Amino acid sequence: MEIIVYGVINSVILSLTALGFTLVYSIARMPNFAHGALYVTTGYLAWLFMNKFGSLPYPVAIVLAIGITAAIGAFMYRFILIRIRGMEISEIIATYAIGLAILEGLRWGGLRGMTFTLPPFIAGSMNIFGVSVDYQRLLIVAVGIIVFAALYLFTHFNRVGLALRGIAQDERAAMMLGIDSDMTAIISLALGSGLAGLAAIMLLPLGNIIVEVGYSVLIFAIAVSVIGGLGSWGGTILASFIIGFAQILTEAFLSSQYQMVVALLAIIITLLIKPSGIFGKQKELEERV
Amino acid sequence: MKNKLLYLLAVVSLVLCMPFTSFAQGKPIVIGAPLATAFLYGWDAERGIKLAVDEINAAGGVNVAGQKRPFKVEVIDTRDLEPSVPVADALLAMEKLILDKKADFIVGGPVRSEAALAAMPLLSKHKKVSILTTGVLTPAYGKAVAENYDKYKYCFRNTSHVPVMMGDFMAILNDLQQKHGFNKAYIMVQDVAHARAGGAFMQKALAGKNWEVEMKIYPTGTTDYSVGLIDSGKKGTQVLFLWMDMPESAALLQQWSNMKLKSLPMGFMNAAEQPGFWKATGGKGEFMIVNLVNGGNAPSNITPWTMKFVNAYTKKWGLEPEGYGTSSSYMAVYQLKDAIEKAKTTDSDAVVTALENQDLMGVYGRMRFDKKTHQIIPSWDPKEGAVTGIIQWQAGKRVQIFPPKAAEGKIMFPPWMK
Repeated sequence: MEIIVYGVINSVILSLTALGFTLVYSIARMPNFAHGALYVTTGYLAWLFMNKFGSLPYPVAIVLAIGITAAIGAFMYRFILIRIRGMEISEIIATYAIGLAILEGLRWGGLRGMTFTLPPFIAGSMNIFGVSVDYQRLLIVAVGIIVFAALYLFTHFNRVGLALRGIAQDERAAMMLGIDSDMTAIISLALGSGLAGLAAIMLLPLGNIIVEVGYSVLIFAIAVSVIGGLGSWGGTILASFIIGFAQILTEAFLSSQYQMVVALLAIIITLLIKPSGIFGKQKELEERV
Repeated sequence: MKNKLLYLLAVVSLVLCMPFTSFAQGKPIVIGAPLATAFLYGWDAERGIKLAVDEINAAGGVNVAGQKRPFKVEVIDTRDLEPSVPVADALLAMEKLILDKKADFIVGGPVRSEAALAAMPLLSKHKKVSILTTGVLTPAYGKAVAENYDKYKYCFRNTSHVPVMMGDFMAILNDLQQKHGFNKAYIMVQDVAHARAGGAFMQKALAGKNWEVEMKIYPTGTTDYSVGLIDSGKKGTQVLFLWMDMPESAALLQQWSNMKLKSLPMGFMNAAEQPGFWKATGGKGEFMIVNLVNGGNAPSNITPWTMKFVNAYTKKWGLEPEGYGTSSSYMAVYQLKDAIEKAKTTDSDAVVTALENQDLMGVYGRMRFDKKTHQIIPSWDPKEGAVTGIIQWQAGKRVQIFPPKAAEGKIMFPPWMK
């Protein structure tokens, strides 16, 4: 039973981690390799607001931290990425460089050691089918479901959301209808960064805010997105469950140290069988041919 | 007139000589400190070294054959504890200390075992006496000195190593077995060389003492230990033996506490060493038994010098000694001072001989180096050798519980174990 319970929790954690990365790629067609850095930045900002700058209440610190991270995402596009949009290798190098600068800047600025932690929203644990689960993890599952539902509603019933979908489906046609491509890209970067921040706020109370977590979050976000199909939200969820359960099964029956191997193997197998990912459409025509 | 000139000359000479007799005014003796400064074992070592240097300089410096010379510290970040940083980078950093910064002696790291072992030929090449004070828990270091003395005689280490630490742990576990009938252990270690070796060593040792024991290895960066912890609970584990040097391992204790597992956590765990651990885990790390490798890395009364050091450190840096690497790095500077003064020179070979013959009462007991391995001689009695610092987190404080002659409290069990 613990495999099912923790498999679901682990899968939701992975999907939350990868959601922002997928959103940015699906709309702006940009692989945001600064995703992990934005994740860590949000956690550190929340910690700073609670412990250094005025000892703000937890909810206020969270809202401010996510807001600032979203703004960083928007600024990244407006002042840097806008100049290289469409140049795929440059996009990767630029976003990775920004991420690296942020992470190493944080390390240089004092983010080191295990002093930096966020408290769980609700302390304590309960038994689910005889398996002990802490409330924070249950909250993560609930927030995961709410976020996915909210994003679905936003992109299907809101004008801005519909514009984002329009750009994602056919950029040129959407532009002909008056949708500003750069503005949607700014919005998508802000939203994606904000989602990275939300994931951080939910997940970091389970561990510590450290620089290294930025690199592992990026690796798992890429793994989930590639397997699911870059830019596919449905694929992200499915891939999260595949990797999430595979990791828990690996830990239960093999050993935890192979968890990363499982994720990377899954990428290789997916690329061998279906290079565009489970729900990916990048190379659909070539694959059909 | 001639008399007046002589008088003036005498007065000027006296004034010029005065500073030499009362303050350290000679050429500074440069201590190079290659440390992974972004990690506990680096920054606490740096603080320990600087505290000792400040104290020694304030007291007049090092008396080198009648001339008082101050110490000067040059720290370089080896980054050798950071993931993906190659050993070669640490070696380049150390060579820079020797060649560019003109380090006379090396104190501190490199911190990762692999880097420290690779640095030995470099120290030999430049004939630089080094006292290793942090990280590096492999017994291979002392063994290399013993096997190739002429080449590696410049390498000393004033901290412990895995076999000694395991002996200390086994003493505690044997006691738990005899007094409480404990015989089931679950080992959780990080996927790095020293932790895997430590876990395997403990698994074998416990199995030989009729313990039921199982081991799980976790990759660096793991934050979710639920499956392993649930498994340990099902197996009726009484001792959770941990060996990890990553900050994320604090999450393990939080999960252990949330699950109210009927096991006593103990081991070598970086996250649980520091004073901030209590706040970081919201008090859920209580009852964790941690090996701080050397005494004095937390408040205790091992020798009269221990609390003097703890108070001085707290005054200078605003927090208690933080963990492994603090007291040993502080002591290394005093060991070096003592050796230089006895050798009456900074010449490497003379200082090696002085260190080999040194017998100094320090922060964590009597400090003597084994002449063959250049390894500090350990003991459970501070009057005989260097004492370890095994503490348990009790009500927000780090209480020394081992060895018995230095203990200030007894092992306590979580209330849900009763």
